[in-house]
Amino acid sequence: MAILRPAGEFDTHYARDMATIRRPWQWWLLFAFILALYTLPFYGSQSLVSLVNRIGITIIAVQGLNLLTGYTGQISLGQAAFMTTGGYISALLVNNLGWSFFAALPVAALGAGIVGLIFGLPSLRVKGFYLVMATLAAQFIIPWFTRNAFPDVLNRAQGLNVQVPVLFGFEFNSPQRYIYLTLTVLIFSTIAAHNVSRSRLGRAFVAIRDNDLAAEVLGVNLFKHKLQAFFLAAVYAGAAGALAAHNIRHLNSETFNLTDSVFYMGMLVVGGLGLDLGPIFGAIIVELLIEGATLFGPFFISLFPSTAAGAVQALRPLFFGITLMLFLIFEPRGLAHRWYLVKAAWRLRPFSH
Amino acid sequence: MRKYLFPLLSITLLISLILGACAPAATPTPTPVPTKAPTATPVPTKGPPDLAGETITLYHFGDLSGPYAAITAPLIHGAEDAVAAINEAGGLYGATLAIKFADTAGSIDEAVAAYDRFTGEGEHPIVMITYGSGEAEALAQRFVEDKIVNLSAGLSAQAFYVDSGYTFGLGPIYADQIAFIMEFLKENWDTYKPAGAGDDIKLAYLSWPTAFGQGALTDESQAYLADLGIEIVAQEVYDLSPTADTTAAILNAQAAGANVIWTNTLAFGTSVILNDLNALGLRDQFVVAADNWAMDLATYAFLANPAYGVGLIAPYSYLWWTDMDNPGVQYAQQLFEANERTAGEHNVGYLLLIAGVDLAMDAMKLAIDTVGYENLTGEAVHDALIALSPHQALHGALRVDYSGGSRSPREAQIRMIQGGPDAFVVIQDWTEIPDLRPGG
Repeated sequence: MAILRPAGEFDTHYARDMATIRRPWQWWLLFAFILALYTLPFYGSQSLVSLVNRIGITIIAVQGLNLLTGYTGQISLGQAAFMTTGGYISALLVNNLGWSFFAALPVAALGAGIVGLIFGLPSLRVKGFYLVMATLAAQFIIPWFTRNAFPDVLNRAQGLNVQVPVLFGFEFNSPQRYIYLTLTVLIFSTIAAHNVSRSRLGRAFVAIRDNDLAAEVLGVNLFKHKLQAFFLAAVYAGAAGALAAHNIRHLNSETFNLTDSVFYMGMLVVGGLGLDLGPIFGAIIVELLIEGATLFGPFFISLFPSTAAGAVQALRPLFFGITLMLFLIFEPRGLAHRWYLVKAAWRLRPFSH
Repeated sequence: MRKYLFPLLSITLLISLILGACAPAATPTPTPVPTKAPTATPVPTKGPPDLAGETITLYHFGDLSGPYAAITAPLIHGAEDAVAAINEAGGLYGATLAIKFADTAGSIDEAVAAYDRFTGEGEHPIVMITYGSGEAEALAQRFVEDKIVNLSAGLSAQAFYVDSGYTFGLGPIYADQIAFIMEFLKENWDTYKPAGAGDDIKLAYLSWPTAFGQGALTDESQAYLADLGIEIVAQEVYDLSPTADTTAAILNAQAAGANVIWTNTLAFGTSVILNDLNALGLRDQFVVAADNWAMDLATYAFLANPAYGVGLIAPYSYLWWTDMDNPGVQYAQQLFEANERTAGEHNVGYLLLIAGVDLAMDAMKLAIDTVGYENLTGEAVHDALIALSPHQALHGALRVDYSGGSRSPREAQIRMIQGGPDAFVVIQDWTEIPDLRPGG
């Protein structure tokens, strides 16, 4: 989308031209928003803090998928499997080797990235539906591995109890405390994703997405860049998986499953593929829908006790399915795209047409 | 942007550390609580306390929209009907019982969210009820930290004994169950062995690839089976689906020389094996045994022919609907009819949760008698559960024993399907079951 700027506003140097946040009030607004999030434990209920925590971790996972699918056009259904990888690596480093979570987190992300590279290898040869099948393999192979390999270490299907992160004796053992970890990683991941998307690497990703043959003719190394996209997506998933595992405090082959991968893809569609705000909008909307279904279910049962149980079973997939369908029909470019349109209309007022 | 990036990140980190240090206090992680005999003795009172106007809330959460929904719905209704009936009868010493439910869709992440929601709701929870192995395992540490009793229908050994202490089972752990049944078969092999089978039991473990499905296969249970001289010759998994194809798993078991199949699944998981065994014409080559959830009314909903269920063996630490001479089962039947529940819910889940709520009531009553209502906490109920052990909840419809460090029932019956629906015949009456707790 073209960047629309008010008339009379000129950039006098490159740094200003590159700036994402251009005005002092935008800095203040951002600072107030971040401050509001960081102080949430002081005024929000535990369930709200817990929900924000989950949304934050989900956004990180979906940001990775956005780099791979949204920017590079490589559809993947293996994101949850890479979260499993990151979660296990971090859990083992902390539980068995006594590492600090803060050292284990980047190693887990990198480890997941390397595994992501392996599953990204078929991307040079296959596209579209066939690539989906190839990435789907990760969703079967990695959980199988955790159930069957090294039973003494990975504890088979029962999985691992995962220790809470500790920093200078301070335990992140409640949602009110854990949210600081989640938000900090989320800020890093958001800045990194934004910068990747507008760097040379990001341009190459977009070129591959729009027309890989043309991109190759222009000198973009397809193999290298597709693998880089898989690597980055898995790094994000690994970090999200490690964060989630230490938050849940337990991890097994079912913790992150195929349904999660499908939901992440749905979040991306709802939020907006290939837009920086897409993962944020998508994760928030879908997680709120899930939360709504959870809260609405018991209420529905209390209203219609004899008949509602079956209907309640369908609420969650129904909410998700209908939302996805409506977005595909009415706004296939997602909420973020709509947000940019609203912003553009505001800037062009009164000549919005 | 770059000019501001590093200062921004540094400030963010600094703020997060400062706020982290100032965050609302959380309970420090305690070491797992060893189960001990409570030291307090009941305080003699002039009569039962009058708690009219008070409310005690039970919390339960389970999978109502995921793969285990079929068994969870009757469990939930059993709990809710039992609570309503208790309130109608005057409540707990006059206090009203409330019950709150949250759907987890079978996701551990959602279970943690439900737990956070419940523990963040003003009054500190005393008793929670969980239905899945995965969620019981994931939350075990939190129950200890927050001193909340968890009555669990997810019977994973890890949930009860690893970093745990406040999780108590409504049935024996799956490791105990497989050991119990295999011990029985070992002693009665001549009676139950398939025609043409040798003198040795060759076991095939065919199950779901989940924490629940693999729950019976622990180091302890494998060592116990080895001591019994039972060899596990095949381990196969199949999909968690009522339409799963188990043909390959069965043929692999046959090729490995197995003569007994154990499956750790719900009714529909066992039914697919029985259907496929019959379709392959191999039913008479195997004894089929399963965990307690497998032998249920729902089994018949998934069997291609009701006769396929005949011969299925499972442990029961509770009575069944046909035991109508028991006043507890009569009471459950009355509730079932009064609440006009559907025929499909006339199953193990509904009956067991009526007994489970009765167990929670008994424990809370003892706790109130012991420490007084004002001191009624999860810790007091934890101690009461141990103090009243061994205990027969709902007039003996459920037998539990949490003494001696155990956190799951210590005796059970063995039943076999010997006819049409509901013909779950006792082939071994109440007997002590092996104790295969991890590290025990």
